[in-house]
Amino acid sequence: MEAFLAQLTNGLIIGCIYGLMALGLTLIFGVLKVINFAHGEFYMLGAYISYVVSQMLGLHPVLGIIIAVFAVFIIGMITEKALLTPIYENKVDQKDEYALLITFGLSIFLINAALVVFGPYQMSPQPLANGVFDLGVLSVSSGRLYAVILAVILMGITLFIINKTWLGTALRAISQDRDSSTIVGIDAKALGSIAFGIGAAMAAGAGALLAPVFLVFPIMGVVPAIKSFVIIVLGSMGSVKGAIYGALMLGVIESLGVFFLSPSYRDAYSFLLLILILVFKPKGLFGGSQWNN
Amino acid sequence: MLSVKDVDSGYGNIQILNGLSLEARKNQLTLLIGPNGAGKSTLLKTIYGFVKTTNGTITYDGEEISSAASHTLVNRGIGFLLQRVSVFPELTVEENLKMGAWSFKRDKNRIKDRLDYMYDKFEILKTKRHEQAGLLSGGQKRILEVSRTLMSSPRMILVDEPSAGLSPKIAKEVYQVLHDLKDEGITMLMVDQNIRESIRYSDHVYVLEQGRVSSESPAADIKDNLKEVVESWLKF
Repeated sequence: MEAFLAQLTNGLIIGCIYGLMALGLTLIFGVLKVINFAHGEFYMLGAYISYVVSQMLGLHPVLGIIIAVFAVFIIGMITEKALLTPIYENKVDQKDEYALLITFGLSIFLINAALVVFGPYQMSPQPLANGVFDLGVLSVSSGRLYAVILAVILMGITLFIINKTWLGTALRAISQDRDSSTIVGIDAKALGSIAFGIGAAMAAGAGALLAPVFLVFPIMGVVPAIKSFVIIVLGSMGSVKGAIYGALMLGVIESLGVFFLSPSYRDAYSFLLLILILVFKPKGLFGGSQWNN
Repeated sequence: MLSVKDVDSGYGNIQILNGLSLEARKNQLTLLIGPNGAGKSTLLKTIYGFVKTTNGTITYDGEEISSAASHTLVNRGIGFLLQRVSVFPELTVEENLKMGAWSFKRDKNRIKDRLDYMYDKFEILKTKRHEQAGLLSGGQKRILEVSRTLMSSPRMILVDEPSAGLSPKIAKEVYQVLHDLKDEGITMLMVDQNIRESIRYSDHVYVLEQGRVSSESPAADIKDNLKEVVESWLKF
């Protein structure tokens, strides 16, 4: 029983952090209608930045996470301005294909840049905290517990911005009708950059939080990115609620699969779940819902 | 007030407007009529910067706006009512209205005044202020779009097919609202297929064909020749 509860808790913890990453992906998709194939590499960037700050500069790991989130927010905004602006200036005919190829190219570039700078080695950052948190019936690693608390705080801040601020309402407006948002005076291009920056920063936050668990290396973002795609598809593309519930479900199913079946197929469970949900609910769990739902 | 001079524009390699020139005079409702494909809606989109000009100039109150970014035009006092439904469906009615106040979002008092004004003017919006805009009826959505445009206190509104998709009864109400706006001193440049109804509220009419003005006259004159004008399109 204790082992089962431990796996379930572990699943919820990992699910929360995947949720942070998937929320970033769904935010970018909702506002920009772009599927960001470089999302995993922003996750990787976040992990490396937090590693450099905490291990190389010797600062506190929490500071590493904060710096990673802010740095990738800026990098994300610059990336959007530099690479995606042609889509909104009608400079490309095949907009979807352009976005797909340019973000895919960015992904390859960032992986190779990390290889050049850090090499192919796996690096192990300092955990957020050492020791174990004893909850009576089960024990949770303090590092993971702090990681999930920070993930929930980051998600909470994002949800607050989306639902309670002028910026968030404007982002929701853009996601629903870009032309109408322009007519009321919203600079959809500028806010699109901010949305991309926030989305990338959320991936970076997830990367920095999971770095001590899954280690840091150039292609570390590939599997989490695929899982984020799985989450937003099974939760319904563009649904905030779907991204959060989908991530928790994925985390739990993975952990229970490891517990009841085999740890060897950990990554396969998410795809099995995706196939099953799409068979019975082709539009995903929250089919038809919009980004601001 | 608004002057369009020798404007060419279009989509990609397809040119829709061919040296089009016209003027929308202050405090008047200027109506654009013409057959499908004449370039009426494209003209409004070109004025608002959604379609770029390749030649010619557009000036508003003496300032050139041909290359102005679309989102800045609301700050110059120009609003745009699109032909299609353009409410933000998953925002509430009040959030939609507040988005109309984006250009002065930090001025809480002004926003409150404008909201109160809209709720006085259109009571249905007050009743449904916390409902999602996507759940409103077609006529209510149109009223919300008009109100959202009015939130920024525009001096001129571009209106594209205000009665499209509405029942005759609701369309009549929308025309009455537009007529009231004209009486309040708002200049309008309007495209409409419902000529018989819209011409009653218009001051000046331009007939567009093949991306240019084929004729123009005071609305009062066209009212008498309406049948001939429409018949000439059918021949065309």
